[in-house]
Order: sequence, then structure tokens, then C-alpha cells
Amino acid sequence: MTGFVDLYTEVDTFLHRMDPRVKIIAVVLLSLLGFVLSSLLSLLVLLAFMFILLFLARATLSKTMFALKFVLRIMVLIMVLWPLFDPSGKPELASLGPVKITEPAIIRGVTSAVRVGCLATVWYILLFTTSQRDLVRGLVKLGLRFDFGLTIAISLRFFPTFGSMLESIKDAQRARGLELERGNVLKRARNYVAVLVPTIVSALRAADTLSLALQSRAYGARADRTYLREISMRGADVLALAIVIGLLVVPSMAKYMFQVPI
Amino acid sequence: MIPCTSPSSTDEKIISVRDLKYVYDNKVQALQGITLDIRKGEYLALVGGNGSGKTTLAKHFNGLLRPTGGTVAVHGRPAAECTVAGLARIVGYAFQNPDHQLFCPTVEEEVAFGPRNIGYDEKEVAVKAERAIEAMGIRHLKGRAPLSLPLGERRRVSIASVIAMDPEVIILDEPTTGLDAEEIKDLMSSVDRLNREGKTIILITHDMKLVAQHARRVVVLSKGMVSLDSDPRGAFSDLDLLRESNLLPPPVTILAHRLSDCGIPKDILSPEELVVRILLIGGGAA
Amino acid sequence: MQALKVKDARFKYQGSEQFALNGLSLDVQQGEFVSLLGRNGSGKSTVCMLANGLIPHVIRGTFEGSVEVFGMDVTKKSVAEISTRVGIVFQEPESQLFCMSVEEEVAFGPENLAVPREQIRERVEWALDLVGMRGYNKRSPFSLSGGQKQRVAIAAALSMQPDMLVLDEPAYALDPLGRLELYSVLRRLREKHGMTVVLVERDTEEAALFSDRVALMSEGKIVDVGPPQAVLRDPARLRAIGLSPPQMAELASLLSYKSTGKEFSFLGVEDAQAAVRHFIESQSGRARA
Repeated sequence: MTGFVDLYTEVDTFLHRMDPRVKIIAVVLLSLLGFVLSSLLSLLVLLAFMFILLFLARATLSKTMFALKFVLRIMVLIMVLWPLFDPSGKPELASLGPVKITEPAIIRGVTSAVRVGCLATVWYILLFTTSQRDLVRGLVKLGLRFDFGLTIAISLRFFPTFGSMLESIKDAQRARGLELERGNVLKRARNYVAVLVPTIVSALRAADTLSLALQSRAYGARADRTYLREISMRGADVLALAIVIGLLVVPSMAKYMFQVPI
Repeated sequence: MIPCTSPSSTDEKIISVRDLKYVYDNKVQALQGITLDIRKGEYLALVGGNGSGKTTLAKHFNGLLRPTGGTVAVHGRPAAECTVAGLARIVGYAFQNPDHQLFCPTVEEEVAFGPRNIGYDEKEVAVKAERAIEAMGIRHLKGRAPLSLPLGERRRVSIASVIAMDPEVIILDEPTTGLDAEEIKDLMSSVDRLNREGKTIILITHDMKLVAQHARRVVVLSKGMVSLDSDPRGAFSDLDLLRESNLLPPPVTILAHRLSDCGIPKDILSPEELVVRILLIGGGAA
Repeated sequence: MQALKVKDARFKYQGSEQFALNGLSLDVQQGEFVSLLGRNGSGKSTVCMLANGLIPHVIRGTFEGSVEVFGMDVTKKSVAEISTRVGIVFQEPESQLFCMSVEEEVAFGPENLAVPREQIRERVEWALDLVGMRGYNKRSPFSLSGGQKQRVAIAAALSMQPDMLVLDEPAYALDPLGRLELYSVLRRLREKHGMTVVLVERDTEEAALFSDRVALMSEGKIVDVGPPQAVLRDPARLRAIGLSPPQMAELASLLSYKSTGKEFSFLGVEDAQAAVRHFIESQSGRARA
């Protein structure tokens, strides 16, 4: 049950090999770019750029679609609902009472959906090409305190464990006649106590042992901790970072300083 | 809830498994075609190493898992047609980790939880809970908080909470893990008594000493298939089979095998038996 | 120098009425393999945590007495300092492995001690090799069996290069195959590396076979200590403190009792086989005569 948390696939591409700090920064900058750009055409270009990155990362389209199926549903929802709630602009294509479907509204809806798609895809690419270990390492090197980095790493690592523990507890209680799918909201909430209490208790017990194990391995002994996994910026990483910065700066300047309509 | 009550008590077979296959979501084939029957009053040990499929098989008996191939029938009716809650009246499952079941403020409430869920009225619930508490010897713990008890007692509370539903079949998943010798003795004497009173016991374990001392039938699972289904003597006669199934025969059985050329039978189950045999062959006590 | 020297230790967990350790004294020599056997509640887990300083530094309670590891007073050194001399392995494989890969797990300890990277790499390889998990570096804990997880836990303790390893019921959650793997690793550690090992167990079978000494615990005290042959031979004695005797010891005791005149004493199946064979042959020889 690691699917949700661990999208990382071990493949040898230049994106996988890229320094995680560059990837983290790049993803933030590209997300900003997604908000700076506001014309449908420019966002479609950005989306195409995302597809190129996916291709470079050797992420198959089918796998991406599957991982992002929640996002795809949101996108469709946006495209359908936007014109229904945004009656401004001309030309009008159809109307039913107060609801007016206009062409500009449809375009705005599609634009928003594409923006969401770009953002989701760029974050997916980050998780797909970067192992949890590298992600945390990158964040720590960028200045995040090691304690926080370790906390994030441990949470991610135990997420599937507690997930399967929850399933096991549900089974154990169902074997005692507990029916979790029936009854009104109130009754179901009460039934879930039988599942939540053992889960929380077991989680706390595990946390106890974990903290003893951490201390027994000298966690916190020294401030100048070393790391087996070292990450260092290579020429290619610096170049990639420069390109991404350029990708944000140039359009931003064009839009805000020179009023180019993108 | 679809109750699955037994149509008649003349049919001895409670659980019928025919060519059962099960494949997990991640495509792992856990069960490769299992066929067996479990009759009323049996004391069965389901043994095998980790990954042999024993827990997977047992979870089909109370409907927690549905077959991907083949059938599992409880009192003649396919288990797949019943809900888990419905089957809980017939097949009780005590999980390996009692902490996965305990959550009530007192032992009394904990034991009453099961029968209440499956629809008994308050009076019946009280009676059944009382009986279960007696059967597991935890009367002195009635008002205590289950989660504050040591492991051996938590286990007995969790088993009591399952037998309170008065099922015909009781599945115990690795009930002796973490218990010391005395706790095991106390627990197993309660289990033996339940069997004497007519309950069918299915013991899932990899402790062959336990099997030798209590079970009357042994089903050995290996890689999702039944590699042996016989009484304990039959099981202990074939050490190679046990080893291949990742099971460790008791030392006294290993010794008996090594001494078989002296005339010692191979299916020795306890030190007492072996002593008797040795003395018989040696000409008896002087 | 003694690896572990406990004198008159008394410890009560915070919030508990009873003393978990009630005047416990134990000496462990360097290079020894000592098994500590006792029923649940006898205090054996508490002794483990005393050996690496978790008691009294982390676990709350009242402590009296003295504990020294390799000459260091445990109450005066931090857990981190003691961890370079004493490694500990707990009984739950799931909750003592918290990294996403085997390599990270084993590297965690030395990283905390600011060991230079190259040395960490060497230590990781060395530790994994010792526990028979070479090549498992990139594997995630989810893909490991119980026995493998416990071996990684041992490697994670070994990479700190301790002089003594303390294991609190490491085979608790393991199936027979896992147990076998675990004990063969411990045996190798002892034979090839002369590591001091303190093993806490409920089961008397394995401990009997390869410990240098066995200590019996009951109600917070050591009630007997000595070579396995001596300590585990009396089944009634063991049952009195809640332990189930090794089957061979039971056999020996029953044979001695029932065959008046002969004394039997063996612990392992090999010795038992030899002794019983000899007995049968001598009996049938006598019968023929």
C-alpha cells in the first residue's frame, strides 16, 4: 500500500539524476509561472513543456493519468462548471434563465483547468523522479532543520504501515460483528471508535519503541551530523536551474513590464 | 446483516473448501487450490511458515476474504453470500494481535461488544459475556481496562470477546506469541476445555510443540497448497516435509528419528513417550 | 575489564507499584554469550534497557544500585556515549526500522556520530555482510521478511561498532525460519568476532545450545547463573519460575528418574542421541548376558 506515498520509480534519466535541490526549486518556480501566465495559449505551451519533461523522465502517459486521475476529474469539473457560473463576456452561445454560457467563459474555464493540470503534472514529475530520501536530503540542504526532515521522512515511511494496520484492525472488528458500512452518519461515527482507538494505541506503542531505537543509535548526539548520501551540484544542474529561472523571469518581465498579453 | 444460521445439525461438516484459489491485489497467488472439510468438534492445527497461506485460508472461513476461484461453504451455504457479521455467529476469529481488537473502558464491555453487534438482546448479551469471561478465566479482571493489562491477559480478553458470540468454530491466530510457559499452559487449557465442550478449534501456529501437545489434526500448508493433512503422528513422521514447509519439529521428535534404527518409532510427540519407548527397548527399568 | 557489571540494581517504573528489578546483580565478561531467561514480568526487558543507559536517562522511574559497562558508570554517561559501546535490538522488527531503505537504516547510527562518509560506507557493508544481508542496500523495509528485518536491526546496531550487543527477545515475532536465521547470525557474531552478547529470551530451547552462560531471572532478581548444562538441567526448578524446560533436559530428567541407577544429563539432540544409544546398547547387552 505504498502507492499513494511513493510515486518514485527508479529509472536512469537525467531528471532522476538531477540534484534534488534544483528540482525542488524548479518545481516551485514553474508553479509560479503557471500563475503568471494567464492566456490559454501560453498555458497550453507550458503543458506541452510538462509533457516533454514527462517523456524525458520516461514516465508513461498511462501511469501518469492513473496517478493523476483525481486531478483529471477536477479539471473536467472546472471546465464544465466555470461557464455555468461565469456569465460575463461576449459572444453568448446559449442561455437558460440566469445561466448564460459565453465563449470567453468557456475559454477561462479551460484555461483554469489547464493551469491545474500543469501544476499537478510538475509536482508529479518531482515525486516521480526523486526518492523520498533525496527529497528530504534536498530540503535539509536548502536549510530545513534535520529534525523536521527526519520527521517528514519517518511520517512518509510509516504511512503505509499504519494504513495496513488500520485495515487489519477493521478486519478484526468486522470479525466481531462490527458493520462499518451501514447505518446513519452518527452510528457509523460511533462504530469507527472501535477502529480508531486500537489504531491510535498501536501507533503510540510503535512510536514509543521508535523513540527508544532512535536514542539508542545516538540520534541528537552531535550537531555536526554527517550524511552517507551526498548531493552536489554539477554543471548540468546549475545550467538547468539557470534555464528554469529564465523561464520564469522572461515571461514575467514580458507580462508585467512590457504588457505582453501572455 | 444476512444471518447465516445453520439449517440442520445432522450435517457434521461445518466448513467445506473446494479447490480454493486466492490472488491478492498485487498479483501474488496466496492459495493455489485448497480442498478440505472441517467437521464439528475437530481440534485442527493449521501450520506453515510465514507466507504459506495459512492466515489467508483462515480468513476465508469467516468471510473476511472472498475466493478468487473455487468455493468456501459454511453449513452448505457459500460464505461469499454472507456478510462477515453474519458469519460471526458461526465462525469466530481471534486475531494474533489483541491490541487490534481491544478498545473498551472495561473488560466486561469489551466482551459484550461482539454479541451486541450480532443482534442478541441485552439479557442474552449479559449471559454470553459472563460465560465467555468464565471460560477464559478472567472473572477477576472484569472491571479493569483491557489496554492496561499485560499481554497474556489481553490475549485472553480478546479471545473471550470472540467466544462471547458463541460461535461453533473458533479460529485462534498464533495465540501463544509472546506468552511464557505458564501463560501458554493456562491459555491452552481453556482452549482444550472449549473443545471438550463441543467447539471446533482451528489453531493457526508455527509452534510444532504446541501442535504435538494439543491438536488432533494437522493441516500443513506450504506455498499456498496443502502438503499434508493427517493426525499429528502422521505429520511428525515426515520431518523433511516439515522442514520444507519452514517448520521446526520438536527436539524430541528429531531425536526419535535419529534413533529410529534402534527401534524407536518416528512419530514421538513428547519426552514422556520417548522415555517409555526407550525403556521398553532397553529391557525396562532394572 | 568486564563488559557488564550490575550490582544490586533496583528499578521501579514511574507509576508502577512493583519493583521491576529487585536487587539484581550480574557480571558479563568480554566475549561471553549470556542468555537471560525469565517469564513475562520477571524484569528481563528492564535489564536490557539498563545495559545501554535508556534506564535511567530516558525511561522514567526510580533507580538504585550500580551499573557499569566496560568500566563506564551508566548513570554518568549519556545514552549517545554508551551507544558506541553497547548496541541494542528490540523485539518488534516493524517499529525499530524507520528509514526507507536498508542502507539508510544501517547508516543512521554512524551518521549521528559524525563518522566520515567513506567510513560510514565501509561500516554499512561490513555490518550487512555480518548479518548475511549483503546486497540488500537499496531494499525497502516493506519488502523484507520478519527475519530479514531483525537482521537489519542488528546491522543497524553493529554499524556503531559496539563491543556488546544486547537483544531483547529478538525472535518474538519470527517464524521458525526467521528464528534460525537470527540465531545463526548471533552464533557467527560470537564465534568469528568474539562479540559480547546478552540475549533475553522466554524460550529455553535455543539458548541452551550455544550460550556460554545462562542466567535465570525471577521477580526482578537473578536466581541462578552458570553454564547451560548446570542451570537448565532441573525441569522442576525451571517450571517453578515459569519457564518451560528444554525438551532434552526433560528427557534426561525423566530417564534418570525412571531407569533407576542411571544418571542422564544432556542438552542438545546430538549429546542426547549418543547417551540414549549407549544406554540402549548397554541394556540390550545386559539382557542378552
